[in-house]
Amino acid sequence: MNRIRKITRVLIALLLLHLSAGAQNFVSKNIRIGLFSSTPLEDIRAVSDKGNAVLVSKTREIVVQLDVKTLEFDRKLMQEHFNENYIESDKYPNAKFKGVIDQPIDFTKDGNYGVTVTGTLSVHGIDKKRTIPGKVIISNGVVQISTEFNVACVDHNIKIPKLVFAKIAEFITIKAEGKFNPLK
Amino acid sequence: MNKIKYLLISFSLFTLHAQAQEADSLLKALDSGRVASTVDAAFKSTHVVLSHSSETQKKHDLDLRIRHHFGDIGGRFGSAHTLYGLDVATDLFIGLDYGVTDDFTVAVGRSKQDELFNFSGKYKLLKQKTDASMPINMTLFAQLGWIAREPLNNSEFAQYSDRFSYFFQSIISRKFSSRLSLEVMPGYLLRSNVEDNGDAKNLFSLGFAGRMKITKRLSFIADYTLVNGLSRPKDLTESYYNPFGVGLEIETGGHIFSLNFMNSEYIVENNFIPNTKKSWSKGGVRFGFTISRNFTLFKSKKEDPDKKSKIY
Repeated sequence: MNRIRKITRVLIALLLLHLSAGAQNFVSKNIRIGLFSSTPLEDIRAVSDKGNAVLVSKTREIVVQLDVKTLEFDRKLMQEHFNENYIESDKYPNAKFKGVIDQPIDFTKDGNYGVTVTGTLSVHGIDKKRTIPGKVIISNGVVQISTEFNVACVDHNIKIPKLVFAKIAEFITIKAEGKFNPLK
Repeated sequence: MNKIKYLLISFSLFTLHAQAQEADSLLKALDSGRVASTVDAAFKSTHVVLSHSSETQKKHDLDLRIRHHFGDIGGRFGSAHTLYGLDVATDLFIGLDYGVTDDFTVAVGRSKQDELFNFSGKYKLLKQKTDASMPINMTLFAQLGWIAREPLNNSEFAQYSDRFSYFFQSIISRKFSSRLSLEVMPGYLLRSNVEDNGDAKNLFSLGFAGRMKITKRLSFIADYTLVNGLSRPKDLTESYYNPFGVGLEIETGGHIFSLNFMNSEYIVENNFIPNTKKSWSKGGVRFGFTISRNFTLFKSKKEDPDKKSKIY
């Protein structure tokens, strides 16, 4: 009897282990991240396809990181000004969001979830606590995310001189989307 | 049996622990493949005060540059009679620089002095990297000068080729911090038209230049070119000086203004390297300015709509 109990215990432990192994991690190296600034004088857009991201399904933790130098503008001089004068990419090479998805999600089932993610947005060396809205779509083991939110330049100590104030918006719209693949 | 249980427990503890740091360590693993990026914008402009910087024009960008050197502030030709040199224009320059690629710029310009036309090519050979793999920028510069004015006497420009001069320079720069960039410029000038008969036709030069950012948009710039004391003979009837300029550079996104003070009367290398006859110590300093405006030409039509900028 005792023996049977012991075997059951081991079986349960094995089952738990199997479950925890089944909790998938997802990664992506090509999250598309774009920024958009709109004023009556000028629309400025830039985009990068080189965002890195990690999703730990068990803890619902999500991290998205971008090497800001990979953002491409159609005007190279604009890109240089962005890196030199505004984001100071030699000093602060990465922009990062690290947070936890607030709603429970079953990553093993296909589905379409509207979520919010609470965490820290780090841009230009300044961390800001944010809750941002997003969408999670799961189909055939592939997780797709998308989000759109505004960032106030002043929140991250990005100064726009009075001289060019009319050309750059105080709030920059950030869009991010991409597919995660399960990590094997 | 106990052993197995112990193993299982310790293993599950291990996986739990691993999971707590998982997101960050996974991100680090993704990050590790990243290549070092280049250090951009050692200088804001393609020129410092008198000399060239190691920067080239961006692809399909056209820079219109207007430069002006006034007369002596002090000395015999300066003071209140000429409004400290402002009545005099020793040299005027209009030029266009065009980026064929991000690394290769072609330029054409014309100066008042000698009615000199200049045609130049500038190629960025090496680019400073954020890691130690490449510590410097290196740009090669070649310029042809063509004197278009009438000869001053019958013997000048005996052959048509005497009107031409050639200047070669390699520009080595390094951005030491976001504030400070320095460069060294060894150069060689070949010419036929020599003002002083005892002077060497061909001259070595060694330039030094730097930029110190005061704020994000305002920089202090300076350059100095060593000509005397290199290959130049010492016993000349005219006294020549080494060109030295200092300035303030103001950048407003697309425009660059710089307010300069220098001892050289001339604007283009083929002129100011051999012919600077004024000295800082004898009131030969003059004011000058540069206005540079950048235009973007030929934007690709296939461009990603997510990076399209628009000016209304």
